[in-house]
Amino acid sequence: MPTNEDIIRFHETVKKVSEYDFSEYSEKSFARRIEKILVDYLLNMEELLEKIAEDRKFLEQIVKDITVNTTELFRDPKVWQTLKHRILPKLKENEFVNIWHAGCSTGQEVYSMLILLNELDMLHKARLYASDINEDVMDKAKAGEYVYRFNIEYIENFKQVIQVNPFNFEEYNSTAFTKYFDVNKINDTMEIKPFLKNIVTYKKHDLVKDNNIFNVKFDIILCRNVLIYFNSNLQNRVFSLFSEALERKGTLILGAHESILGHESANFIKYGHYYIKK
Amino acid sequence: MKKYNYIVIGGSAGSFQSVTKILESLPVGYPLPIFMTLHRLKHVRTGFVEALALKSKIKVEEPKDKDSFFPGKAYLAPANYHLCIEPGNNFSLSSDEAVNHSRPAIDLTFSSAAYVLKDKIIGIILSGANKDGAEGLKMIEQNGGLAVVQSPEECQVKTMTEAAIKATVNPEILNLDQIIELLLKQV
Repeated sequence: MPTNEDIIRFHETVKKVSEYDFSEYSEKSFARRIEKILVDYLLNMEELLEKIAEDRKFLEQIVKDITVNTTELFRDPKVWQTLKHRILPKLKENEFVNIWHAGCSTGQEVYSMLILLNELDMLHKARLYASDINEDVMDKAKAGEYVYRFNIEYIENFKQVIQVNPFNFEEYNSTAFTKYFDVNKINDTMEIKPFLKNIVTYKKHDLVKDNNIFNVKFDIILCRNVLIYFNSNLQNRVFSLFSEALERKGTLILGAHESILGHESANFIKYGHYYIKK
Repeated sequence: MKKYNYIVIGGSAGSFQSVTKILESLPVGYPLPIFMTLHRLKHVRTGFVEALALKSKIKVEEPKDKDSFFPGKAYLAPANYHLCIEPGNNFSLSSDEAVNHSRPAIDLTFSSAAYVLKDKIIGIILSGANKDGAEGLKMIEQNGGLAVVQSPEECQVKTMTEAAIKATVNPEILNLDQIIELLLKQV
């Protein structure tokens, strides 16, 4: 494991040679990312720092390696059930519905949202914006193609969210997964149907330093399992950014085990799986 | 006898009943915080904490990211997240890659606890079917904490305990009743 001093030197080097700043990432998990990078690239700490300082392309690659990209279709089905039956219906009369996926990774949650909007007949009024620090994962998001067998639980999640209504057990919707995905078992892929592609605006965004780059106010912001990698100080910065970027009564949805701590909590009211801006 | 301030427990296949028994044997108001990282099926995301809490006299909860930990409570790593102990007596969660095919990984909870809580900690490895936890227990031992392994003969699946015994220098190999006795003596 890299020592504290190693990590501090890493942060200083990155700050000196680029606009990135990881010094407010959570200590333990960050040290582990660096450890993994040292192993993967067969480098020692000195060599890593030297290469970062000299080779901009290498630094960009390291930035991508540092960030974690785990995501799922309809991850935590209860959250998506709540969106479908409680949050989105309230926006049905709006002219537009603006939604920001902050830290969208490979796009599974972006497509989860598009599917819900289509099911609720709200797709035509939705404007989706998605951002990530890593442009490679956003390319994957745009392509909308995922490995099939490894992700078989996507279909289970889909059924829980789309086919049953936990608020009304008598309701059953027979919509099939294949309405939205082309499944190719031979190639082991599932690909989102073309009518849900090219709807979303993707932009590179760094939650550490960037502000709202989309020039709209949002009805919903989703930022799930991103903030767990930041320390409390940086989390507060991001909560204040979200608070600014949300419409009054706008909804903020975090990861299942994330919550707003500290002074920013005064700007939000918590309802189960989500927060409403006061 | 040296006393310790924190307990961290790791287990996998076959450990559920042992953990339940530990929790029901500790009295109301037992002051040492307990951190538990137990492997479970990825799809079983709810109900586990409730099942553990059923017989426990100590409050059991799944922490949220950056939550502080307190005396008298037991904390269970949530499904599909790694649970780490951070400086400043709080938790961090992460959804990094699985370690030893496991998320949560016992090694991560144990090694972060060893790093932050040093010689104040007892690490306990219970029954399980892979070697997760062995490295973490080694770090606890190296940082001056107490390495405890459930006696493999008593375990439904021995792989985890045997790996932990192999990785450590001088582990206490105890059966479940002795483990409980040891924990009761810390007060």
